[in-house]
Amino acid sequence: MSDPGRDEPDRDDPASRDPARLLAELHAARGLMRDAAGRAPGDAAGGVQLGEEPARPGLAALWAHATRAPGAPVDLAVVRALRGDPAAQRRYRALLAGQAVAHAPFAVAASDGGLAARRVGAYVLELVPAEDGSPPLLVIRGGSGRAIAAIEASLGDAAVRLALPAPVEGAYLLALDPALPEADRLGRLLADPAAAVFLL
Amino acid sequence: MAARGLTMRRAAMRRGDETGRGTIGGYDERCAADLATVGEGRALSREDRAWLARVVTGAVRPNRDKPLWDLAHALAALALLTGARDGRDLVTLVLDPGLARPGAIEARFGASAAGAAAADARGLVLGGARGWRGGWGGLARLLALGEFLLAAEDLAHFAALADWLDELARAPDADAAAVLAKRLARRLAAYRGAHMPLAAHERRFRAILAHLAGRTAFDDDDVLAVWQAEMRAGERPGFRTVAEHFVTFEAAAAVLRDLGGLNAAAPLDAAADWDGRLDADRLDAALADLAADDPPAPLADLLAGFPEGPKILTGAERDDLADLLRLDPFHRTRPLTALRAASFGRVQSGIANRLRRGGGGAGVAERAACAEAESYAALAARARDLAGHLGRMLRIAAALRLAGGAADLPAAARAALAAAEADLRRVRRAGFDDRARLEAGFAAAQDALLRLSAEADRLDRALAALDRQRPLDAAFAADRAAFAAVLTAAYAADAAASPAVVS
Repeated sequence: MSDPGRDEPDRDDPASRDPARLLAELHAARGLMRDAAGRAPGDAAGGVQLGEEPARPGLAALWAHATRAPGAPVDLAVVRALRGDPAAQRRYRALLAGQAVAHAPFAVAASDGGLAARRVGAYVLELVPAEDGSPPLLVIRGGSGRAIAAIEASLGDAAVRLALPAPVEGAYLLALDPALPEADRLGRLLADPAAAVFLL
Repeated sequence: MAARGLTMRRAAMRRGDETGRGTIGGYDERCAADLATVGEGRALSREDRAWLARVVTGAVRPNRDKPLWDLAHALAALALLTGARDGRDLVTLVLDPGLARPGAIEARFGASAAGAAAADARGLVLGGARGWRGGWGGLARLLALGEFLLAAEDLAHFAALADWLDELARAPDADAAAVLAKRLARRLAAYRGAHMPLAAHERRFRAILAHLAGRTAFDDDDVLAVWQAEMRAGERPGFRTVAEHFVTFEAAAAVLRDLGGLNAAAPLDAAADWDGRLDADRLDAALADLAADDPPAPLADLLAGFPEGPKILTGAERDDLADLLRLDPFHRTRPLTALRAASFGRVQSGIANRLRRGGGGAGVAERAACAEAESYAALAARARDLAGHLGRMLRIAAALRLAGGAADLPAAARAALAAAEADLRRVRRAGFDDRARLEAGFAAAQDALLRLSAEADRLDRALAALDRQRPLDAAFAADRAAFAAVLTAAYAADAAASPAVVS
């Protein structure tokens, strides 16, 4: 079994020929069908839904949101759900983590004076504070060789996603201009050790 | 006493198991929720839901991993046709709501080709040493299976699956598909291990097969004998649970016998050649029917989902009906088993509940003596009352529908309607005083009412026939002695050594 071969599924599995096993599997399948028929719509997402609550976004909608290009239009229903519904947030983060080049649910390294650094997988993120009128700078170094195109940071229901420019000598540089609300929010989230970071 | 019994019965019914523990059919809540999420999200047809449920439980033959083999090859073909760059693109394909229907998939990919993959009028083809082909209809189901695997357990394995899809997208060929198929098969096997306690059910079906020794026909006393043997062997299945296994066995036996499967001296034994004796496609069709063949709205669900509004059925009436009809179709084909389950099944679940709680109500020995068991004559009288009540409600429904337009009807029909109107005025139930609400309520309940009324009539007729053949009072007296002996022997020791294990 540890060496997956080319052959079609094994037809000699003794359990396949055991009528008791087949009956047990059929019994379960029929039970599941009956169970599904008795289930009220909306039960499936695993939570109680009140009449006035909007429907929980489906997996496809969450996935489209997780894979959107930075700055692309967003599905407001998904955004609303991500603000108010912890289960949707959990699912969304699982989707993000599943496609991220690297991600960290919280900061491993503590901030150190004016310079905050955190490790995200094989990457090191540094926040260089504002100086002489220049905005704070996010520097991302390291990595596994796979290019990253965007960064998303989130904490609770706050999340921000920004595109990353092409790397310069192996480092991605992003100015966190306080005049740009999104950049400013990213800077503040990155400074918070509790925020999750996804490199996409 | 009656009120307490009713409350306990309702609680047990809510849990879906007469012993109130575990799941009815060998799966847990997580599994039911995972399947429902995919079914609802993709608006799957009943047949496709049944197929997915079978794949998840493993009720697919000749090999339960075949759907995963097909899914992996379909994904490889789609990766080639769409030029998927990575696993992300493949996840997007699997989740794409625009690809949830066979027609939509064909419209998108029909008559295209790339590398070893091609699409034609029949479906997808992946070339290679052994070649693979999948039809358009099957493809929509396979993508639903893909979504199930990605989303299962609240996406706990999403990242791992995305990585596997990444590998497939890098080299989408038959070899990579075979690797993915094995990985998916292991993942689904692990899922079954975590969420499908099938072993106990398998043991019970083995006991049924051993008892019947090659027979596929059985009667009420076979059900009782298997339950008695299990109890004596130290197992604690509910009588109703054993009867439910017989319901599945009966449904499966008919199909498998047609296929020459169970009729052989050594039914489906290890030496049987699946490929030689059973046509794989026919077997699959038969299994599909088995999973989906339940009436579109099972009786218990009609009752659970009975519209609120005017009190056409009280809670107690619904509970009684659910109790009597739960072993569908045995309420009409094996009414004695339905009576045994309603009368003594309730005694047994009362004992199991008491042992679990460690107290409350009558003692175990007192319960096990079955002195409180409801007599078959009383149950039959209640069934008759319920059938009568449902018939009356049905006539009221007709009167409400035809109100005002009855002038053209034959005299007999007009008289029946007038009688129904008179009935309606006599009913003292919540919601029956407001004509508009009443009409809306009956209109909503009409289909459920029609079916329940028909089934209650069939139960009533079956019980009357049973009474002629095996008088209910004598049958009850004999059964009470038999059940009391088994329950006393089994639970006396459990009560001393509680808490007991009840499966």
